Amino acid sequence: MILRPIYAVIEREVVKMFRQRTRLISAMVRPLIWLFVIGAGFGAVLGRSSGVDYQQFLAPGVLGMTILFGAMLAALTMVYDKESGVMRMLIIAPFAHHWIVVAKTVAAALAGLIQAALLLAILAVLGFLSWKTDYPLLLVGILATALTCAAIGILVAAFSRTLDNFAAVMNFVIFPVFFLSGALYPIANLPLALKAAAMLNPFTYAVDLLKGAMLAPLASGSGSELHVGVDVLVSAGFTLLAVVVASWRFSREEAYEPLIHIFAGKRGG
Amino acid sequence: MNDTGALALDLAVRAHGLTKRYGDVLAVDGLELELPAGQFFGLLGPNGSGKTTTIHMLSTLVRPSAGSALVAGRDVARDPVAVRASIGLVFQESALDRTLSVAQNLRFAGLLYDLAPAIIEERSRELLELFGLNDKRDRPVGALSGGMRRALDIVRGVIHRPRILFLDEPTIGLDLPNRRRIWRFIERLRASTGMTVLLTTHYLEEADGCDQVAFIKSGKIVQRGTPRALVDALGRHIIEIEAAELERLVASLEARLGPALTEGDVAMFRNAAEDSSALAALQTELAGRVSALRVRRPNLNDVFLWVNSAR
Repeated sequence: MILRPIYAVIEREVVKMFRQRTRLISAMVRPLIWLFVIGAGFGAVLGRSSGVDYQQFLAPGVLGMTILFGAMLAALTMVYDKESGVMRMLIIAPFAHHWIVVAKTVAAALAGLIQAALLLAILAVLGFLSWKTDYPLLLVGILATALTCAAIGILVAAFSRTLDNFAAVMNFVIFPVFFLSGALYPIANLPLALKAAAMLNPFTYAVDLLKGAMLAPLASGSGSELHVGVDVLVSAGFTLLAVVVASWRFSREEAYEPLIHIFAGKRGG
Repeated sequence: MNDTGALALDLAVRAHGLTKRYGDVLAVDGLELELPAGQFFGLLGPNGSGKTTTIHMLSTLVRPSAGSALVAGRDVARDPVAVRASIGLVFQESALDRTLSVAQNLRFAGLLYDLAPAIIEERSRELLELFGLNDKRDRPVGALSGGMRRALDIVRGVIHRPRILFLDEPTIGLDLPNRRRIWRFIERLRASTGMTVLLTTHYLEEADGCDQVAFIKSGKIVQRGTPRALVDALGRHIIEIEAAELERLVASLEARLGPALTEGDVAMFRNAAEDSSALAALQTELAGRVSALRVRRPNLNDVFLWVNSAR
């Protein structure tokens, strides 16, 4: 019963994603810039450490980044839906309002997965994937990353009323999540404060899975720094918790009543 | 749908003591409402009188502070999902995705009501035909005119064939031809489906076509009845007078014509008498003392003005 409405939200998301081709292309170009500019630049300084060069080390990180941007931006379209009024169609539909949050999370995760699949094809052509890659673990890692990033996005979206503070979201959510995660450097070497921040960041655990799948088979000592079980558990747990909190926030009358006043143009009209 | 016939049917909406309080403001104040199934009901009143809040409470989007409401037999507070399944709501502002096409919007709306794609396709065709939008199926909604978008929003609101349709200011912001067109669409829709329609408007004169209307003011219903009865109760004629020294003239006439209602530099009197010779006498008497004297039939706008003036 609820499956068709959830499918409706997903379909709309996918249709809109493929329509915005420039956004999709830039989502593919961004990781390649990181890989070939930052990766090559720091690679020249750092040389090889623990058996992989920096560019190789960065590959799972940029895969994680692509999913982070893809899933988070898709989740944030919930705020756009509130602003543009499309949310009206969703809140008047005959299902409990927490399903809107669930559907948006699933759709956002799927947006991340699609972009991950596209980037993986590019990475394979460029030789960053090989027969050594642990593909089952990579699949788990991509799924975990997509869900975690969608969940972070939905949490932000549930608490935002307008997209005016989008720059703030970039600065205070997306960049810290990316930089403080172990996507760019092993967390073991970080100063204590940054390491603590990384350990509190759910994205760290998701990226750790990607590193485990892509780097660990290349050289022992590189790759994942945490236990796979911990990574999966934290990713799943965080996703669940975020969806519950976002649902609670979104279903609270206060959360969407001001929204209705925006719709009505004024109070009590 | 006449009153005696409708009474035998069940009630589509039944609100009792329905109240919404925002801080110190009573947006809706103990509203009593009973709508027989199939009725075309107009909730009339100025901006900020509580019309939208009433609709939002009846459609489960705003929780009442007090009182209760049954919509399609279900309690809005206890069973919101069941209520939402049997109603359609067209908001004051568009709910459509401007970047998607007409057909894509209707598909999205239909899927949200768990309709099969084939059924959505069929009903879209039917409804777009009814609303004269069939050639716009593949146009992006953003490219439609305001009137077409409003019509499409109504189509969107009835794609699941609700038993009760709420329309919140369906004609607001549209020009006169488009307002008339929207009213024609609503008429066609009622004729083809027989659904109960509750609409709000502050263009009071438009509501003549409703079976029943109620005037709402500061969250309270102050007058209700059929448009015909309300207008008839007001009087046979409205006499409008414009004059330089209006106040003095009005004071001298009130003994004979009853209390006046002054709006800017126009004073209005109600005249119950059918007798036109008295009017002719008044006309000759006032000739030269007034800059204009008009006698016209009253309408719902007048009903509202007089209801409001009765303090």
